[in-house]
Amino acid sequence: MLEKPCIQSRGFKNVERNGRIIGFQLNIRSLYYRGVWLSQLRPATVTVDGETFTGEQITWTINGVTYTQNEMASLGNVHWGILEPATLTVAKEGGLETGSHDIEVSYSFSSSYMPPSMDTMLSSGVNKRTLIMV
Amino acid sequence: MSYQVGKNGKPKRGVSLYSYSGEYGVTMNLEDMFVEMQDMGAKGLEILANTHIEGYPNPSDEWLENWDRLLKKYDIVPVEYGHWVDSRLYQGRELTSEESYKMLVRDFKLANRLGFTILRTKLGVIDDDLTPVENWREFIKMALPMAEKYNVRICPEIHAPTLLKSKTVEDYVEFIEQTGTKYFGLNIDFGVFETQPLPASEWGPNDFIMPKCEHSPVEDIIPLLPYVYCCHAKFLMMSNDFQELTIPYEKIINTLIEHNWDGYMLSEYEGPKKDVTGYTSEQLRKHHVMMKRILGE
Repeated sequence: MLEKPCIQSRGFKNVERNGRIIGFQLNIRSLYYRGVWLSQLRPATVTVDGETFTGEQITWTINGVTYTQNEMASLGNVHWGILEPATLTVAKEGGLETGSHDIEVSYSFSSSYMPPSMDTMLSSGVNKRTLIMV
Repeated sequence: MSYQVGKNGKPKRGVSLYSYSGEYGVTMNLEDMFVEMQDMGAKGLEILANTHIEGYPNPSDEWLENWDRLLKKYDIVPVEYGHWVDSRLYQGRELTSEESYKMLVRDFKLANRLGFTILRTKLGVIDDDLTPVENWREFIKMALPMAEKYNVRICPEIHAPTLLKSKTVEDYVEFIEQTGTKYFGLNIDFGVFETQPLPASEWGPNDFIMPKCEHSPVEDIIPLLPYVYCCHAKFLMMSNDFQELTIPYEKIINTLIEHNWDGYMLSEYEGPKKDVTGYTSEQLRKHHVMMKRILGE
């Protein structure tokens, strides 16, 4: 089972590559009532303690496969299900320090059955949570 | 196996698992929802493919085996399979007819494997009146032979603000009459009959509230009934004395009974507090008490 908020606490950690900390990760769940194809998603923005990350600073990992936000726009046959958390990996040299961090995640998605003027209106806006890095 | 539209008997009861969307994956799993349906004697099931099929559109063999087991264990009838033709799948353009056709057929096969015979097919729309995409006739016509092969009926959902007497519904009926198809029909969402809105004070800050719109009188469903394979028994709030506060249920169900419509009414809870543990379950139970009483069960 997932935690109720969009931003999950399980999975929040720094990411190490070749002995160097290159960023951090957190999991999110979709608050929409149905899964979406990756091309329906619009790029996410992550803000940590006031510092904002966008575009190619963020990758999404869904079902073990990692995607850049650019390539997601053309992936109309890869599905992000409701029960699957997505891992957002954020590039930040040195990662985050031990302790509390105020996290904000926002992204939106297209719903073709809504009027075009309300295309991304069902998105959940800015999701906020304080997470603890150990 | 009947596909639920006939001239004998009464409407049947079921549940759209959409109702539980505030709890699914957080406090409830698929089996929990089936347990509740069995408790209520609500045999008819609607799932949303993109929500309730793990690994959609390619569920694992283990998932499929578990699906078969659950249907049997809880004596559930797979009635309606909700799916989408996401016309704006790619930003900046609409899907071609060929792409839409492929999306449809992918779901026909999966729906058939899971035992469903009716599809709630959500089409993309092009304006505030929910007019469907311009090429719908073309790709639906292309898909009809495959719908027959996989024994599924494609049903767009007629949902507020669309009226039952409207160009959109007329166009669907004309399509059915011109093609003579038995594999395209309608799903009527009872929200089209709303007689009073839920007071704004009942909604939470994050709820999507339907903008005010015109609604249809109940009798407008009568000429459409031959094409209605399934209904969404939409409801927003049940009182403690088992009345729905916004939709004229007694009149709707009695009209269906009088015209011997014997399809499934699938409860679709779309009121507030969906994410409060147990709230939706209680609303659904009250809804089924009301429906049983009107049906004389």
